[in-house]
Amino acid sequence: MGPDEFRGPMTQSPAVAVADQANTAIQVRDLHKRFGETEVLKGVSLTARDGDVISLIGSSGSGKSTLLRCINLLETPDEGQVWVNGELIRMGRDRRGHAVPADRKQVDRIRQRLGMVFQGFNLWTHMTVLENVIEAPVHVLGVPRGEAVDRAKALLDKVGLGQRQDYYPSQLSGGQQQRAAIARMLAMQPRVMLFDEPTSALDPELVGEVLRVIRQLADEGATMLIVTHEMAFARDVSSHVLFLHQGRVEEEGTPDEVFGNPRSERCRQFLARGA
Amino acid sequence: MIDLLGFGGRGWGLQLLQGMGMTLLVAVSAYLWGLLLGGAAAALKLSGHRGGRVAADVYTTIVRGVPSLLVIYLLFFGGNSAATWVVSLLGFNGPVELSALPVGILAVGTVSGAYSAEVLRGGALAVPHGQVEAAKALGMNRWLTFRRVMLPQVLRYALPGLGNVWQLTLKDTSLVSVVALVELMRVAYLAQGATRQPFLFFTTAGVLYLGMAGLSGRLFARAELWAGRGVRRAAR
Ligand SMILES: Nc1ncnc2c1ncn2[C@@H]1O[C@H](COP(=O)(O)OP(=O)(O)OP(=O)(O)O)[C@@H](O)[C@H]1O
Ligand SMILES: [Mg+2]
Repeated sequence: MGPDEFRGPMTQSPAVAVADQANTAIQVRDLHKRFGETEVLKGVSLTARDGDVISLIGSSGSGKSTLLRCINLLETPDEGQVWVNGELIRMGRDRRGHAVPADRKQVDRIRQRLGMVFQGFNLWTHMTVLENVIEAPVHVLGVPRGEAVDRAKALLDKVGLGQRQDYYPSQLSGGQQQRAAIARMLAMQPRVMLFDEPTSALDPELVGEVLRVIRQLADEGATMLIVTHEMAFARDVSSHVLFLHQGRVEEEGTPDEVFGNPRSERCRQFLARGA
Repeated sequence: MIDLLGFGGRGWGLQLLQGMGMTLLVAVSAYLWGLLLGGAAAALKLSGHRGGRVAADVYTTIVRGVPSLLVIYLLFFGGNSAATWVVSLLGFNGPVELSALPVGILAVGTVSGAYSAEVLRGGALAVPHGQVEAAKALGMNRWLTFRRVMLPQVLRYALPGLGNVWQLTLKDTSLVSVVALVELMRVAYLAQGATRQPFLFFTTAGVLYLGMAGLSGRLFARAELWAGRGVRRAAR
């Protein structure tokens, strides 16, 4: 099948959008996602420039995770476009008319540039911490093992796990597992990092150690999208905040605007409840 | 009486050993064939492909639901008539008889595969989906994700069950004696007929089966320890 066969409604007029892609790490345009009958994302757009730290906030079920997962195609958006570093993820339709990626290899390639950290860590339990970290560099990027090990050790030091490289995930605390998962992501040198509630599964006393690592990455200029319920952290670390409500961006702006002086009633209510 | 088991003159020792070798050959080949078949069936059952899922369900339901002996008869005698028919189409006539060994392996393996399929499917379901998502999110393609993340863990979860399937397969090989394949059970039967010592030879065969089962059980236990690394240490 040639690429032309995939020119459905989803891939129309990319030229218009590509015009303003300089320094754009992620651009999402008019994203829709349905699960069965319920439309979870109802036309979401966002732009992340290099170095932006964008927090996604909103109540449970508002579609934050779904949005994040549509960006790296863990969920397939039904409509809309996603560009990563100016490259449009090409979509097509299968025989039943469902949206599918037009080119799996493109998706794999783009995912190499998008790191993701999950709420539940998702470390591979049959591998040690070090093996988790070198896995993708060695097998996806073809980095020589020795080199990958050296880099992994440096990353594990950076996240404070230098002494734990030969432990299995089940021997670590939640905070340590999440920091190992961050090291695993960093080993791919991603251009953009996606965090989906990285501290929600942690005991309160372990949250700080993970947030410190994320903050350090932000300070070093990493480009991030962070779904979080840690409002103080979001306010502190973000360059931008998006408030999602029922599948729409209800409010967006700088942290001071959104937290200090929210325009929408819903956002005000949400923040009042959280505080 | 003991010299009946020896290797000299009237002894059946050599035949018993050869029979045991044949039993192991059929068991191992059938087991491996069953793993392939079962792996494919498990993959189909878990796939989104509706036709494939139904086909795999039909296979495991039928084969597990009828006696193994029936499967052997069906493949052997059914196979013979099919082969005879094919040959007659080519202009030759006369009955054709398939060689007992490959058909025996095929039959026992087909039964073994139906059980392996369920065990492997359970193993695959036990791997947390988040670990597959983590692999995808790092840009690992489907094959890499399967090989590096799924397979080792499916084996870990499936090994105890696969050990059971192996024991079943080992015992099922005795059924192939009905199509005159000279494996351990068949040798024991022939020997007791010739010597009028059924107790001696059936007991001996039993001990040999137990020996094979015991040894292979130890191998599986080792494999479980190895495959359980990471989990086992946490249990300390
Ligand atoms: N795989 C799925 N199948 C069906 N429905 C889903 C699926 N994933 C999410 N949903 C539904 O979509 C809606 C949005 O879910 P999503 O996980 O994006 O919300 P969220 O904003 O991340 O919430 P939370 O703060 O609880 O994580 C929810 O109503 C959820 O039940
Ligand atoms: Mg969520």
